[in-house]
Amino acid sequence: MNNYWLKRLLSSLLVIAVVLSLNFFLFRLMPGDPTSSLLDPRFSPEAKHELLKSYGLDKPLSQQFFIYVKQMLTFKFGISFMSQRPVWQELAERLPNTLLLLFPALLLSAVLGILLGVAAAKGRGGLVEKTVLLSGAISFSFPSFFVQLVLLLLLAHAFPIFPLRGSLSVPPPVGFWNLVTDKIWHMTLPVASLVLLGFGSWALYVRNLMVKALGEDFILLARAKGIRESRILWRHAFRTALPPIVTIFFLSLPGVISGAVITETVFSLHGIGKFLLDAVLGHDYPAAGAAFYLMSLVTVACNLLADVVYTFVDPRISFRRLR
Amino acid sequence: MLLAVSLLLPAQGKAAPLDKLRLPNIDELYFLIIKDNDAQLLALQGGQIDLLGDIARFSDIKSLSDDERVNLYLAEGYHAFYLGLNLRKSPWDRTELRQSLWEIVNRKQIVRDVFGGYALPLFSFLPPASPYTLSASAADFDIKAAKERLKQKGWRWSKKGVLICPGEADPLPKMKLLTPTAQVAPTTAEIAERICESMRSLGIPIETEPMDFSMMVARLDRRDFDAYVMAWELSRDPDSLYAFYHSSMDVPGGYNISGIRKPDLDEALESLKYASNEAEARVAAEKVQRLLYKYIPQVPIYSRYHIAALRREWKGAVASLYMTPDNTYSLLSLKHDSKRTFYWCLSEEPRNLNPLSAASAYEWQVLSIIYESLLAVDPFTLKDIPWLAKSWRLDTVTKGGKEKTRITFHIREDVKWQDGSPFSASDVKATIEFLKKFAIPRYFDLVKDVERVEATGNTITVTFSGKSYWYLHQIGGLPILPARVLSSLKDWRNLPEGHIIGTGPFSFSAYKPGEYVKLDKNELYWRKNIP
Repeated sequence: MNNYWLKRLLSSLLVIAVVLSLNFFLFRLMPGDPTSSLLDPRFSPEAKHELLKSYGLDKPLSQQFFIYVKQMLTFKFGISFMSQRPVWQELAERLPNTLLLLFPALLLSAVLGILLGVAAAKGRGGLVEKTVLLSGAISFSFPSFFVQLVLLLLLAHAFPIFPLRGSLSVPPPVGFWNLVTDKIWHMTLPVASLVLLGFGSWALYVRNLMVKALGEDFILLARAKGIRESRILWRHAFRTALPPIVTIFFLSLPGVISGAVITETVFSLHGIGKFLLDAVLGHDYPAAGAAFYLMSLVTVACNLLADVVYTFVDPRISFRRLR
Repeated sequence: MLLAVSLLLPAQGKAAPLDKLRLPNIDELYFLIIKDNDAQLLALQGGQIDLLGDIARFSDIKSLSDDERVNLYLAEGYHAFYLGLNLRKSPWDRTELRQSLWEIVNRKQIVRDVFGGYALPLFSFLPPASPYTLSASAADFDIKAAKERLKQKGWRWSKKGVLICPGEADPLPKMKLLTPTAQVAPTTAEIAERICESMRSLGIPIETEPMDFSMMVARLDRRDFDAYVMAWELSRDPDSLYAFYHSSMDVPGGYNISGIRKPDLDEALESLKYASNEAEARVAAEKVQRLLYKYIPQVPIYSRYHIAALRREWKGAVASLYMTPDNTYSLLSLKHDSKRTFYWCLSEEPRNLNPLSAASAYEWQVLSIIYESLLAVDPFTLKDIPWLAKSWRLDTVTKGGKEKTRITFHIREDVKWQDGSPFSASDVKATIEFLKKFAIPRYFDLVKDVERVEATGNTITVTFSGKSYWYLHQIGGLPILPARVLSSLKDWRNLPEGHIIGTGPFSFSAYKPGEYVKLDKNELYWRKNIP
C-alpha cells in the first residue's frame, strides 16, 4: 500500500472515531432525555426513573460510552428505546425500501440531468437551453411535498393509475414475479417524483460545467483539427467536466441510505428517513447512533471510492505521482 | 359555525346495545399504515380504508362533513390545552392576577377563529368528557372585570399601560411565553400569540418564545420559564389533578410544573387519591376543583373534539358523546352488505406489538383489540362494566392498624385464549405478579402498591399496601396475558410474534412493517357464549 492510501485510510479512521464520539456526546448534550417526550401525568417520576434504568441510562457516562463503542464496533447496535426491538432489525426492515426509492431516483436524476445539461450547453442560446434552464429551475425550486401531493392526487386518486400508499398491495400478491411487479408499481410514483425534483440541479450544474469546458482553447483546437462535434462534446468537453460530476455523485450516495422523510411520509413508505427523524426527536440514542454511524461509514467509503474513480476518469490524476 | 358542530354531535350511528354484541361480522381486519394526512383523506374517500380516526385538521373536517360517502363522528375527548404559569416567581405568585387572566383570554373567539368551531372552549381543570369534571360558573371573557379586580387589590398601570405590582415602584418586567414553533405546532403557536395579545391588553408585557419542543420540555423541567402553553391527553379518571397540583409532584420529572404548593389543596388531593370508594372520590374531586378555581394555577383554554370518519356502507357503529366509532365495541357490531374485510387507518408505524413495552397510541390501537382487561368502560355512561371479570367487590380492610384496599374479582368461566386454551384466574395473578416483579415501567405505577394476589378457582383477590378507590381502575384496566407465555419469556422486552395471544375479538395474524397489521376474527371469542 502506498503512502497516499495509508494516509487516507488513517484520516478516514480518525473521521469515524470523531463521528463515533460526537454521536454519543451530542445526543446526550441535547436538552431532555428519552423520557422527555412522555408527557403523561399518569407516569410518575419513579416510573420515569425505572424507564431510564431499563435503557441502561442510570449507569455512569463512561460505562455507557464503553458499551456504546463496543456496540458500534461489533455492529450489534443494541435495542431501540422507542420500539424495544433490536436496532439492526429496524434498520434492515427499512433499508430495502430506502434503497429502492433513493438509488434509482439518484441514478435517473443524474443521467437525465447530465443528458439535459449537455444538450443545453451544446445548444447554447437556443430553445433547448431555454427549456432546460426553465424546467431545471422549476424542478429545483418546487417544494417536494407539494409536487408529491399533486402527483398523488392526480395519478393515484383522480386517475388511479398508481397506488396511493406503501410499497406493497394489501393483501400482498402471491408468487415471486407478482411481488416484483407489485413492488415496481408501488415505487414508480415516489421515484418519478424524486427524479422530477432532482434532475434540475444536475442539469443546471452540468450545463454550467459544459459551457465552461466548451469555451476552453483545447476545444477550439479540436474543432480546428476537424474532429466530429459529438466526439468533441463527449470525449473532450464532457470528460474534463466529469471529475466534479463524479464528486457530486459519490457525495450524494450516502444520502441514499439516509432516507427522504417527506417522500416516505407522503407515500407511506417504510424507510430510514422517518426512523432517523423519530430517533433524534425521541432521544432514541441507540437507533440514532447506529444510523449516523452507518451513514458516516458509507460517506467515508464513498469518498475513498470517488478518489479511485478519479484515476479512471481523469488521466491527469495519478496516485503514483503523489508518492 | 358552532351550529354546525352541534349538528354533528349526536352519534349518527344508532348504537347497538352492548349486551347484544357477540362475534364480529368482520372476518379480516387490516390496519393500513398511512402516515400523510392528505393521503389518509384520499384513501378514505377512495374506499381504500373504511375508518379514519383522530382527524385534527379543520380543512379535513370541513371536506369530510360535506362528503356523502362517509359519516363523520364527533366526541368530547380527554384533550385539554392549558396556559401554564410559574407560580414560584413574581408576578404569577399573585392569585388575583391569575384570576384576572382567567377572564381576559377569549376562548370562544380562539375556538371560532383557529378551529372553525370544531373544539370546545375549556373552563375546567379536567377534560370535558371526564365524569368528574366540575365546570366553572365563572364568567367568560370580561376584561373590565379583570382590570377592576386588579385595581381593587392595589395594582396600577404605568404611563405605557404596563401593570405595576402593589407596593412596587417599577412596572412588570418583560416576560416570555414558551411555545413550540409554528412549523411543528402551527395552531399552538397561533393560540400562544393570541394569549400574549390578551395578556398585553391587561398590561402584562409578554411575548412568545417559540422553540423546539424538547428544548421547551427541558426548560419546563428546569422550571426556567415565566409561562407556557401545552396540550395534554388526559383520562376518564381525575388522576391528572394530583400529578399537576400536589406539592410532592413539584420535583424533577414531576408534572406540578406551575409549582403550586397549598396545604388545603394538598389535603384535598390526598383525599381524592386515597378515597376508599367512588362516592368519596366524587366529593374529593369536586373539592379539589373548587380550590383550583380559587387558586387558578393554570388557565384552561380549549379542548379538541375527537373526530373520526367511517364509510357510510358500514352500519352499526358504536358511538356516543364520549366515543367515536374507532373502538372495540364497533368492531363487534359493524356490518356491511357484502364485505367481511375491514380496513382501518393507522397513522404511524406500530413498531412494537408487545403489550409489556408498547407505548404509543398507534401500538395500542392494535393491541387493545387483541388483549382485554377485567373491566371495560361503557361508551355511553363512562361507567365500569364487567368484561373478563363478571363482577367485583371493593373492600377496605384494616391490617396492622393500616387501612388497605382489597379487590375481589370473579372471573368469567367461558373465556378462552385465542390459541384455544382456557383462561383462568391464575392468568390474571401471573400478569399482575409479572408486572410487579420486573417493575415494567409502563405498568410501574399501576401495580407498585400491590401487596398480595391470590387466585382461588375463578376468584382473584388483590390486596394493596394502601387505600384507594383508583386501584380498581388500575388493576381492572391491565391487559391480561397468558401465564404460560409470561413464564416462557426470557426478557419482557422481547415477545415473539407467536406469543401475541389475548382473549380479544381479533387475533394477531401478520405484521408487515410499513404496510399493515392483519388481525383475524377470533372464532373462540367468549361473547358468543352469552345467552
